[in-house]
Amino acid sequence: MLRAAAIAERAGVPSVSIVTTPFLQQAAVVSKGVGLPSLPIAEYPGVPMTDGSDGVARKIHDLLPQIVAGLAGAREGIHTRAAEPAARDTIYRGTLDEIQEHFHDNLWSDGLPVIPPTLERVERFLAQTRRRPDDVIGRLLPENRAATVWSIAVNGVMAGCRPEYMPVLLAIVEAIADPIFRAEDAGSTPGWEPLVILSGPIARRLDLNHGQGVMRVGRQANTSLGRFLRLYLRNIAGLRIPPGAGDKGSIAGSFNVALAEDEDTARALGWSTFGADQGFTRDDSVVTVQSVVSISPPIYSAGTRALDHARILADVFGGACSYWSSIGMKYARWEPLLVLGPSIARVIAEDGWSKDDLRRYLHEEVTITARQAETYALQVGATSFTLEAHVKAGVLPAAYAVSSDPDRTVPVFVQPEKIGVLVAGDPGRNQSKGYVNNHIQGGRVSRKVDA
Amino acid sequence: MKNTEPIYDVVWPLAPSVASPGSLAPRSDDLRGKTVGELWDYLFKGEEIFPLIRQQLAARYPGITFVPFEVFGSTHGRDENELAATLPAQLRQHGCDAVISAVGA
Repeated sequence: MLRAAAIAERAGVPSVSIVTTPFLQQAAVVSKGVGLPSLPIAEYPGVPMTDGSDGVARKIHDLLPQIVAGLAGAREGIHTRAAEPAARDTIYRGTLDEIQEHFHDNLWSDGLPVIPPTLERVERFLAQTRRRPDDVIGRLLPENRAATVWSIAVNGVMAGCRPEYMPVLLAIVEAIADPIFRAEDAGSTPGWEPLVILSGPIARRLDLNHGQGVMRVGRQANTSLGRFLRLYLRNIAGLRIPPGAGDKGSIAGSFNVALAEDEDTARALGWSTFGADQGFTRDDSVVTVQSVVSISPPIYSAGTRALDHARILADVFGGACSYWSSIGMKYARWEPLLVLGPSIARVIAEDGWSKDDLRRYLHEEVTITARQAETYALQVGATSFTLEAHVKAGVLPAAYAVSSDPDRTVPVFVQPEKIGVLVAGDPGRNQSKGYVNNHIQGGRVSRKVDA
Repeated sequence: MKNTEPIYDVVWPLAPSVASPGSLAPRSDDLRGKTVGELWDYLFKGEEIFPLIRQQLAARYPGITFVPFEVFGSTHGRDENELAATLPAQLRQHGCDAVISAVGA
């Protein structure tokens, strides 16, 4: 919204942006990131989604003078960039405790103690890559900082990674710098969190857990890789919760540890691995990053036939996805992820089902009513969303508007091929788990690890 | 007691800002006779808010006209990048003298 205003300003067209009071701090971060810190704002007090029509009308009447002031009259001149430290500068000297305090005070930590990023430690990480320290992988909004190789090493040190993780850290940042991932939206109110998935030989080489307790902190590689990404988004993209700004996750969640697949089991079942599903070979080491906005309950399923399990998966994974599917429908790109326990994958595969068969079943069986989809979307803020209009615009397939009956059912999963299916977890139990992603925000992106 | 703890020299954990400093567009003194473009992210009641703004600005500034948000498409979501790329040309095409962008929430 502010980025559109900035484009207009740079095209010579004055702008004013209507921003609600709770978002003013985030607006300041975005405005600075686009190089126009004094972008004119008209402040809408409160939360429009809880205002009635009368309240909206009154508030718009009251903010009219701000709209006029933003569009007409004199404004300040060109902005300049503030001086910043060089990469190798010592910015602080102190004991371990003093460094923790300094980093906390400057909002450079995630609230946990960090490993002091000394030159020596950073150099050990840089020795693991052929890339130059000042190479820029991309730029990360909203703070709009360069994702340099150096900064990746520094934050890798701080997060407790080992130097040999550096190629993975680089691939993670390459993935989140891809426009498909939309790192600039990682501070949106749903409070989604990125999930790193490692595939191929690197996962074994770095000793990633793919078995029991795979998503729990406790294994160094899984944990520190996940922590690195959250820290990197704070420090380079500028996504900080209060007392910082930029991260408006309303309730949000903490970082996900990195996930690895039980590839031996997947292959033994004759299934493609998750890495192969992303287009890579078995010898490729691959990082995939996608958003996770919520997690299903543990899904226990029993039986000797694929259908026994598919029915429960449809109920519980489908149920976990249903509420958020309206947003998936609005943007028509949605990539939920189903982590199947090895024992469950075995039953499904040995009954002759492929991963695509399972995806197709979920697509056909998991539905909600059109009324629910439109009502859920409205609550989030999509106040003008209708399935019919989205079908007309070519965003959704015709199946979403076969009639105007609000009680007609529509598929929860818009594109079944985008449901990720991966084998991991406790081989000694019959449990799966679903991960709901945040539509186009945090879209699934994979990068080969240069290791 | 003498402090024997190790002392660390540490580097900056951020990275250079690549924000390109710019300046705001020149403003005119009033909005009479001007064309105002509406940019909407298709969220948070813009369909109520823009008509209210139109009505109130029109009452105050004779000759003011509006390019409605439907003309531009959404500033948020799947078509956002495409809109960003074409916005300057669209603003020229529609003769916009100013834009109102909403709703940041």
